Amino acid sequence: MSDQRILFRKTGTAKYISHLDLMHTMERAFLRAGISIRHTQGYHPHPYVSIPLPLPLGFSSDCEILEFGLVEGSTIETLPAQMNRALPSGIEVLDCYDGGLAFKKLTFVRYDITLEFETEQAEEAAADFKALMGRESFVVQKRSKKAKSGFTEVDIIPLVEAVEEVRSDGVFLYLTLLLKAQNPGLNPDVLLQGFRSEYPGLNVIYTACHRREILDDNKAIYR
Amino acid sequence: MDHKLEKILARVQKPGRYVGGEYNAVVKDRAAVDCRFAFCFPDTYEIGMSNLGLRILYGVINEMDGVWCERVFAPWGDMEEAMRSEGLPLYALESGDPVKDFDFIGFSLGYELAYTNVLNLLDLAGLPLRAADRPDLTPIVVAGGTAMYDPEPIAPFVDIVSLGEGEDVTVEMIQLYRKAKKEGWSKAAFLRQAAQIPGLYVPSLYDVKYHDDGTVAAVTPREGAPAVVTKRIVTDMNQSYYPAKTIVPSTEVTQDRVMLELFRGCIRGCRFCQAGYVYRPVRGRDCDLLVKQGIEACQDSGYQDMTLMSLSSSDYPDLLPLCDGLLEWCQPRKVSLALPSLRADNFSMGLMEKLQAGGRKSGLTFAPEAGSQRLRDAINKNVTEEDLLASCRTAFEGGWSSVKLYFMLGLPTETDEDVLGIADLANKVYYTWKTYSTNRSRGIRITVSTSCFVPKSHTPFQWEAQNTMEEYLRKVTLLREHMRNKSITYNWHDPETSFLEAALSRGDRRLADVLETAWRNGAKFDSWSEYFRLQTWLDAFAACGLDPAFYANRERGKDEVLPWSMISDGVKTSYLWKERETAYEGKITPDCRVKCTGCGANKLCEGGVCRV
Repeated sequence: MSDQRILFRKTGTAKYISHLDLMHTMERAFLRAGISIRHTQGYHPHPYVSIPLPLPLGFSSDCEILEFGLVEGSTIETLPAQMNRALPSGIEVLDCYDGGLAFKKLTFVRYDITLEFETEQAEEAAADFKALMGRESFVVQKRSKKAKSGFTEVDIIPLVEAVEEVRSDGVFLYLTLLLKAQNPGLNPDVLLQGFRSEYPGLNVIYTACHRREILDDNKAIYR
Repeated sequence: MDHKLEKILARVQKPGRYVGGEYNAVVKDRAAVDCRFAFCFPDTYEIGMSNLGLRILYGVINEMDGVWCERVFAPWGDMEEAMRSEGLPLYALESGDPVKDFDFIGFSLGYELAYTNVLNLLDLAGLPLRAADRPDLTPIVVAGGTAMYDPEPIAPFVDIVSLGEGEDVTVEMIQLYRKAKKEGWSKAAFLRQAAQIPGLYVPSLYDVKYHDDGTVAAVTPREGAPAVVTKRIVTDMNQSYYPAKTIVPSTEVTQDRVMLELFRGCIRGCRFCQAGYVYRPVRGRDCDLLVKQGIEACQDSGYQDMTLMSLSSSDYPDLLPLCDGLLEWCQPRKVSLALPSLRADNFSMGLMEKLQAGGRKSGLTFAPEAGSQRLRDAINKNVTEEDLLASCRTAFEGGWSSVKLYFMLGLPTETDEDVLGIADLANKVYYTWKTYSTNRSRGIRITVSTSCFVPKSHTPFQWEAQNTMEEYLRKVTLLREHMRNKSITYNWHDPETSFLEAALSRGDRRLADVLETAWRNGAKFDSWSEYFRLQTWLDAFAACGLDPAFYANRERGKDEVLPWSMISDGVKTSYLWKERETAYEGKITPDCRVKCTGCGANKLCEGGVCRV
């Protein structure tokens, strides 16, 4: 029998649950909901839950996916309501289904990004951002666990598939970007840090990143 | 969520601990409640959420109609700095509302080193530190917990001290307050009435006078307050509240598991142990009820681990049937059961095998507390060398290969011979392993740890002097020189925090100035090595013209008025003194099940009879 997936939203206070803590939270929620799920084989069996694209701490999302194996205690129709009664505030299961596309097919992520400036710099920042995205190449330093120096260089430009919206409103700059999801993917925080160090005159006081949608290699919705 | 808070959270470590929203967190309608209770735990979220007392009182208070209890924890340094620089006052996790607007601000104080965090939290809330500087009925600052058996150092900062178990008295206090609020009483009028509720100590209604030598001359109650306030207990544990439905943190906390409380109190009467006295008399829950509560708690939380809690779990009369009952449910569901606080004298291999079936063998931990039989008798730790070695033999035969042994240095009547007895005992454990181990190729790890004994109030050793830090370190050096076996690791606890703990735990009201001075000079999170600086405290004592050694290293006379003399846990002071004399004779006192020795705690029970 194939595995199942849930599509869930992670917003509000749940933004601050880290990836590892989220896995535990989900495992416990299944138990609270009276749903038994498949365990891994091996010497130390543990419940199988897998999230293809971990969400960085502090990001919100409308399109998180978790794969598991339903054994008993629910059906794909009743599972969302059952889980929602067992989940902490801010996590909401939107759908449950059998199967799904292979994880490696998850290719793009659409992010809604908000930057807040100390003063009304958003218009200037919008122009700067567009200019930056128009370059041939933009190499930034990125923290790396593998590299000896602790840093590695990454060119951002090929990882930005499309700049779908750049809109300024006083102290707020709103961006909608389509970024590569994996192999390699681009964390919007890396892009924003590069942007800020490139334009040190911009005084950013807050950024919020939201995953609006995930897409496959044909830019169709990934599920 | 508040936008100011969101901005702050983007730049602090582990932001998940500052937002609430966990499963089972209680959110009520502000308009439907007339009393708001901020339950403050003066340590981090991770420590506070591991506290069973918090979970019990949170449940008890939130069961009251019209009352909403929320949680508050001490923000770590980075968060505090951000809150102060952004002007965000201390808030409660459930509503995000400022703590200063609550009706009650309740502190749970399990240890003295949290005192500076109380001051820090009051300051972060934007409130004056001293009770006298908060003239209005709202908010009322109340403190409870084990450290409050000598509440005097913190007394000037709080309005009420709640003694003993809070299940009933907290409700009575809240109801009186609601009446006061409705009828528009003054704070003074409310406190006068509160002092009439058994178990509530109102420090402002007691005058303390001192002799020239700094000892207490007299404690005089005013305005009808009782001369002695006796702690409250839950008399029937089968009827008492158990938080089967409790908050499940979404981030990792220290005790991330179901905590099942087997019983309160302890039959043993170890003379150094404050918990063994202040939680008297022993009161258990029925086995069947515990099985039911344990299962309910697992089902509601989704936890896969359960810990059986008590001061000495092997003294629970139905321990085997209890474990069987729980394992029957737990094992097929892969829920693991942990059983700490086992004694070396009745260690059961069968039980350990059962609990660890299929899992890895964790280490074994025993606490003989003292190295020689003479000293173990003097402290009434009724564990013999034969018991300990027999338990180790059983364990080694069963394949265990790691043992931890805990001791205290500086116990009353201790000689260098007793200190060296620790090395001797560790060696005997090693030879027991050599003789009986089933798998010697794996080797053995014996870890010996010593800490510096802290004499506590309400124990037979409440009159004792603590060893000075120099004396403790001399004993540590002596012991180190005699522990040459490569299989034995020796760890010793740093004496600085123990010294401060000793000074604060038997302190008088004058120490409030020291607390405030130390806090103003940066002391906070004193139980964390990241923050603790003894020098800050020594400076604060000096600035206030007080000597920490007066509190820590001075032996008190039999007739001295002790600063906590207005506080009773039900055990007679004459009984404690008799126990002290018995200690000096090196004699043991039988446990409560063998023979009642008349401590006085039976009077707290219905009908005046303990059901041990």
